[in-house]
Amino acid sequence: MDIRGLLLVNSGSIREDDLAFLASGPLGLLEIAGKSPLERMAERLQQYGIAPLTAIVETSSLSMANSFTASLGLNCITSTADRFWRTAESAFNDMAQSGAELVVLVRLGAYAEIDFEKLVQFHLDRGSRVSQAGHEGRKLDVFCISASRRNDAASLFRSQLSRCRSECPLVEDTGYMNPLAAARDLRQFAIDILTRQTQTCPAGEEIRPGIWMSRQAIIEKGARVLAPAFVGAYARIRTGAVVTRCASIEHHAQVDCGSVVENSSVLPYCYVGAGLDLAHSVAGMRQIANLRRDVTVEIPDPKLIDLISVTSGKGFLSSAAEFLTYLPRVAVQGIFAGGKRQQPDLNAALRRTSPSLGGAAGYETSACDSEATQKFPNMIVARRYGHQ
Amino acid sequence: MDINSRPVVVKRMPERLNGRTAREFLRDVQPFLHADRPQLVFDLSQVVQLDAAGVEMLLRCMSEAHKRDGDVKLASLSEQAAVVLELTRTERLFEIYETSTDAARSFSGFLPNAMRQQLLHNKRPAAPLAA
Repeated sequence: MDIRGLLLVNSGSIREDDLAFLASGPLGLLEIAGKSPLERMAERLQQYGIAPLTAIVETSSLSMANSFTASLGLNCITSTADRFWRTAESAFNDMAQSGAELVVLVRLGAYAEIDFEKLVQFHLDRGSRVSQAGHEGRKLDVFCISASRRNDAASLFRSQLSRCRSECPLVEDTGYMNPLAAARDLRQFAIDILTRQTQTCPAGEEIRPGIWMSRQAIIEKGARVLAPAFVGAYARIRTGAVVTRCASIEHHAQVDCGSVVENSSVLPYCYVGAGLDLAHSVAGMRQIANLRRDVTVEIPDPKLIDLISVTSGKGFLSSAAEFLTYLPRVAVQGIFAGGKRQQPDLNAALRRTSPSLGGAAGYETSACDSEATQKFPNMIVARRYGHQ
Repeated sequence: MDINSRPVVVKRMPERLNGRTAREFLRDVQPFLHADRPQLVFDLSQVVQLDAAGVEMLLRCMSEAHKRDGDVKLASLSEQAAVVLELTRTERLFEIYETSTDAARSFSGFLPNAMRQQLLHNKRPAAPLAA
């Protein structure tokens, strides 16, 4: 049976209040633990033998879309926001004309690990024109459409998947589902992938139990990555940095010296400055979405959070400069260094304020030298709020 | 018992605390910081943007106050300010209060821990006698 897949990626379902920093492109294209929801869904459809696949992607993300076309063998069609649904409809018609019997339509949005075999079987058993998948009583934007029923499909596309002119029975699915509608969902998705709550895995190689690392990622000497964690392609964790508690450092991101990334996602091309504490957050596009406080904060200071240049020219120049100065620097260090440099103590490093603070950098937390620290030598941080 | 009668200065911080505004603010509070045992409360309720220069200025104020046996306390932190202070590991250096009034009151209510325990010990009611 000829079953084909149609994937729709647009930004219509993103909540704008807390995801301003994701407005640059649809969430379906944003890499989480090394792969975008689009890639993960395409892989899943292919596992169920649903091929070939066509993806309709909003125009703003043309370069990203092109990269998926190459890596997954997807036929990727880009479209402007106003022509998005029309393009989807014509892609469906093309599939029907070229001999498809069924079309599985998935709109990202939500990422759901649907049992597509069950969905297709249900559709065939019921003899329905359009079937829809649901999760815990909630309708998902996942449909199985008989390719010959173009008018039903057209009504679905023209209403932006909100209604169908014929009866549309719901197939309840009990698999993993994440609405991917807010920064909190994004973070939860990374946690679920890293703790293997999902069937989809982090991209890259599992170098130690629970630690995944993609190609060309650099973990410098003295940096610590504690499982579960993910370090994406070309990402860099600098000396003294700590990455822990399901932290996910996406491709081309950088965590500078002495920073701690705990239970946080660092989005692609994001730079986290030296000596910072990034906890319970999603950082990227010069913004931080703090999940504990439920607030998104713009960080205008490039010393704290910055966006690394996407163009290769600047990166190449800085790499070249670093390469050229490396040998003289090592020679000078060798002449003037007294002995072997000691690895900085983690407790001592975490007590100091960020080096990004200029003149006030390295200020030691007096609260840490309290009575409590002597009683509990492993305690790193003692917060003092008032006299409590 | 010595009751604190020195004045507490409460200053509201500007909406955007960057290099320039931080310098201006520091200039404003400098006279208070140079007083004997200065007691300052910074109200951060209006702060929507805080950068490294702003945090540096806060630390400088605290450092100056400590030199003269005083203290700087923070109050009514906006979410933006709280996130940046947490990010730069500086929130643990300050005493932070929900309102400026609480922060100001905390200066007069200050007691060293040893004295506090002694006071509590003296106040504790005597154990009931066994029948």
